[in-house]
Amino acid sequence: MNGRLTARGIVRRYGGIEAVAGVDLTARAGRITALIGPNGAGKSTLFDCLAGTARPDAGRVLLNGRDVTRLPAHRRVRLGLARTFQQIAVFPTLSVGDNVRVGAEHRQGRTDPRAVAAQTARALDLLGLRDVAAEPAGSQPTGTLRLVELARALAADPCVLLLDEPAAGLDAAQTSRLVAVLRGLAERGLALLLVEHDAGLVAELADTVYAMAQGRLVAAGPTAAVLTDPRVAGAWGART
Amino acid sequence: MLTVLPGPGTAPLAVLAAAPDPLTVDLALAGLTVGSAAALSGIGLVVCHRATGVLNIAQGAQAMAVAYLLRDLVVVRHWPMWPAVALCLLVVAPALGVLLDVLVYRPLQRRGAGPAETMVAGLGVFVLLIGAAVLLWGAAPLAGAPSPFGGAPIRLPGRHGLRPDTVAQLVAILVLGLAVAATTRWTGFGLRLRAVVDDRRLAALSGVDADRVSAAGWAFGTFTAGLVGIALAPYLLLDPYGLPLLVMETMAVAVAARLRSIPVAVATGLGLGIAQAELTRLRPAGQLLPLVEAVQSNLFVVALLATALLAGPRITGEERTVSAPLAVRPLGVGIGSGGRDGAGDGGRGRLAGTVCLVLLLLPFGFRGNDLRSALLVPALALVLLSVVVVTGYGGQISLGQAGYAGLGSLGTALLMSGRVPGLPALPAGPALLLAVLATAPLGLLTGWPAIRRRGLALALVTFAVGTAMSRFVFEQPYATTGLLLERPSFLSGDRAFYLAELLLLGAGLLAVRALHRGRLGRALTAMRDHEPGAVAAGVDVPGLKLFAFVVGAALAALGGGLTGLAGRAFDAASFDPVRGLLWFAAVVVVGADSALGAVLAAALLIGLDAGTVAGVSAVAIGVLATAIGRLPGGLAALPTSRRPGGAGGPASAAPLPPGRLSPAGLRARAAITARLARERQP
Repeated sequence: MNGRLTARGIVRRYGGIEAVAGVDLTARAGRITALIGPNGAGKSTLFDCLAGTARPDAGRVLLNGRDVTRLPAHRRVRLGLARTFQQIAVFPTLSVGDNVRVGAEHRQGRTDPRAVAAQTARALDLLGLRDVAAEPAGSQPTGTLRLVELARALAADPCVLLLDEPAAGLDAAQTSRLVAVLRGLAERGLALLLVEHDAGLVAELADTVYAMAQGRLVAAGPTAAVLTDPRVAGAWGART
Repeated sequence: MLTVLPGPGTAPLAVLAAAPDPLTVDLALAGLTVGSAAALSGIGLVVCHRATGVLNIAQGAQAMAVAYLLRDLVVVRHWPMWPAVALCLLVVAPALGVLLDVLVYRPLQRRGAGPAETMVAGLGVFVLLIGAAVLLWGAAPLAGAPSPFGGAPIRLPGRHGLRPDTVAQLVAILVLGLAVAATTRWTGFGLRLRAVVDDRRLAALSGVDADRVSAAGWAFGTFTAGLVGIALAPYLLLDPYGLPLLVMETMAVAVAARLRSIPVAVATGLGLGIAQAELTRLRPAGQLLPLVEAVQSNLFVVALLATALLAGPRITGEERTVSAPLAVRPLGVGIGSGGRDGAGDGGRGRLAGTVCLVLLLLPFGFRGNDLRSALLVPALALVLLSVVVVTGYGGQISLGQAGYAGLGSLGTALLMSGRVPGLPALPAGPALLLAVLATAPLGLLTGWPAIRRRGLALALVTFAVGTAMSRFVFEQPYATTGLLLERPSFLSGDRAFYLAELLLLGAGLLAVRALHRGRLGRALTAMRDHEPGAVAAGVDVPGLKLFAFVVGAALAALGGGLTGLAGRAFDAASFDPVRGLLWFAAVVVVGADSALGAVLAAALLIGLDAGTVAGVSAVAIGVLATAIGRLPGGLAALPTSRRPGGAGGPASAAPLPPGRLSPAGLRARAAITARLARERQP
C-alpha cells in the first residue's frame, strides 16, 4: 500500500511551447499532496505525464523508485498508480459493481476471482455503494458517480492515487463526504496527489502543496506556507 | 470452377482515362475528365460539411439516384435532355437534400447527437437510396446513361482534344468555386454559416436561422452529388452499387482537403485524375505489371487509404478528441441480448433466442431456390457477428468487414484449388479452417489504425481498407479465374450443408458469448463506454482493440468462406464494400451489441429480399437507420434500454463477499451511508 510517486525534471512541449518546463514533484505515502495553479499553468499536462496519458519530452517519472516514464498508462495502473478524471469517467452500461470490478481485476498479479471479488466488495463498502452495486451506473446521480469512479480506482488497490479536481460538480455535502474518504485513504498509507482549483478544499485537505504558473513551480512546501506565499496568492489568491 | 469478372458497373475510374495516345498532354487532358468529377465531389463534400458539420457519406448513393433518374427520364420516357437535366439537378437533387435535412439530420443536430450516430444515419440514407434504386430500376447493370455534353472533342492548339463534358465540368468547378467563395466572403451568409457550424444553439439565439443554413448546405451537397453522378454515369454501366462506390472513392479528395479547403480539394481531384492517366504509361515487365495496373486503375482507392491514414485521429481538426459519444452505442430495436440471462432481461433474451431458432429451422422445410437462398443466412450471420464483436462489443466502427469475409472466401477457394505455393490442393474443411486462421491476423490492418482513431476517422480508414481489398485482391485476374470451390461430397446436398452451417454458426455464437462474459467482456464494455476510463482501470485498450479486430476478421472470414461454399464460387460482388455498409447498418439497427441480433439481421436481409422483391431489405434497414434521429436518445431509448447484466453489459459473475474495512474505512462508510440515505429522501 505504501507508495511514492516522483517526477524529476518533467518537460512537455506542445508545438514549441513548454507547457511543463522542468518540474520536480513528489507524492509520499500517507500524505495528501496538492497541485495548484491558474488555468494554463500546466497542471493538467503534468498530471497526464504522471498518469501516462502523455509522454514527457524530458524528465522521469518514478513509481516506488521504478522508472515508469516509458510505460503506457494502463501498465502504470496495474503497478498501482490509479487515477480519476475531472469529467467523470464511468462505464454507463455496466452496473456500479462491475464498474468497480473492472478496476479490481486488472491489477498486476491478481488473477484469482475470489481476490477480485473481495477487493471489489471492499471498495464498494468503503464508499457506501453496496446498495446500488446492481444498478446501472448510467442511472446514478453525479455525486454517486464520483464515488463509483473513486471506488474503481481504489479497487485496483493502488499505492498512489491521482485525482483530477475530485470535487468538481459536487455540492457542499458531497464534498465534505469526499474529504472524509480521502483523509481516510491517506491514513491507510495511500499517497494522494490532487489537482484542484478549489483553494478551500486544498487548505482543508492537503499536507503539501505545489504551486505552478506558466509551466514552472513557483512554490512548494507545507500547505499554509504555500497558500500564503505572495507569489502564489498573486496568481491564485483571488479564489481563496 | 467458376470465373468471376468484376461487374461492368464496378469498372474502376481508370476506364475513363484510357487513352491510346501516349502523349503527356493528351493523357493529362483525358485525366481531367475523372479529375474534374472528383473535384466536383470534393467541392460538394467540403461545402456541405462546412454548412452542416456533417460529412455527406451518402453522397455516392445520391449521385447514383440522380443518374438513374436522368437515364429514366431521357432514355425510358424520352424527355428532351435539357429539361430532364434541369429537373434532376435544379429541382429533385436539392429537394432531396432539404428533405434529408428536415427528416434525418436536423433532429440529430437538435439533439446534439455524436458523430457516430450521425454517421449511422448517413449510412441509412445511403442504404435507403440503394434499396430504392434496386426496387425501381433493378440490380442489373443498365447501359446508355445519357451524357448532356456528348459530341466530338473540342480541338485545342497543338492538335490536342478535350471532351466537351470535361470542359463543362471544369466550368462547373470554376463557377461553383467562385460562387462559394463570393458567398462566404461578401455576404453575411458566410458568417452565419460559421456561426451555425460552431454552435448551432448559440447561433440560433443570436438570431441566425440555423435551419436555413443547414438546409442550404444539404441542398448544395445533393446538387453537386447529382452533378458528379451525371458526369460519371455515361462512362459506366449503371448499377446500384458501382457508381456509389466510385463516388465514395473520390472522398479521398475531400479528406485531403481536411473537409475545409475547396482549392485543395479541386487541386487534389484534378491532380489525382491526371496522375492516374499518366500512370498508364508505366509498363513494367514481369510480375510487377498486375500490381502497377491495379494501382493505375485504382489510384483514388490508394489516395483514400493514404489520406484517411495520414489525416490521423481527426479528419477535420474539429472533432473532439476526448471520448465524445464515440461508440455506436447499441441501438437495439427490441431484442434481447445474446442469450445471456441477466436479471430482468431473461424473458426478452429467451424470446429472441426462440425467434432466431425458429427462423433458422424453417429452411429445413424449404427446397430448390428457397433453400439455396437460405444457405446464405448462417454464413451472413457469421459475418454480421463480426460487426457485433468489433462495433457492438468493442465500440470500434468498422466498415470493412466485407473485405475480411471476401478474404475468407477467396482464401478457401485458393487453398482448394492448390493455388497457394507450397501447399497441395486441400479439401474444403481444412481449406476453410486455414483461410480463417490466415485471415484473422489481417484484422490488424484495421485494428492498428483503430488504436488512435475513432468515429468518422476510423470509419473512413476501415472503409478504405475494405475497398482496397476489393479492388486490389478480389477483382484481380488471379482471383477470378480458375478457382475451384466445391463442398465435400457428404455436404453436397443443400440440407446437409445448411445443417453444417448451423453447427458452425452455433459454435460462433457460443464463442462470442464466451467473449462477452467475465473479465474480457467487462473490459470490452468498459472500452466501448469510456476509453480513457478503461485505460485508467488498467485495461490494455490498444491490445484489446487489436484482439477485437482479429476475432472479427476470423468470424467474417468464416462467414465469407461459407458463403463461397454455399454458392460453390468465389464471387467478388458478394463482398462489395457497399454491401458491407448495408451489413453494418443492419447490425446497428437491429442491435449492435446483440449476438442474436446478427442472426436476425441476416435473416432479415436475405429473407425479406427472397420473400418479396430485391431491395426491400435495404429500404427497411435504411428507413430504420435514418430514424435514429427521430427518437430522442436514438433507438436505444426504446424500452429495451440496456440493463447491466442485460443487453448491454456482461453479467456479473458471482455475488460479492462482504469486505473487510479498516477503522478509517468503517468511519468513512458510516458517514457516506448516512449521506446517501439523506440524499435519497425527497
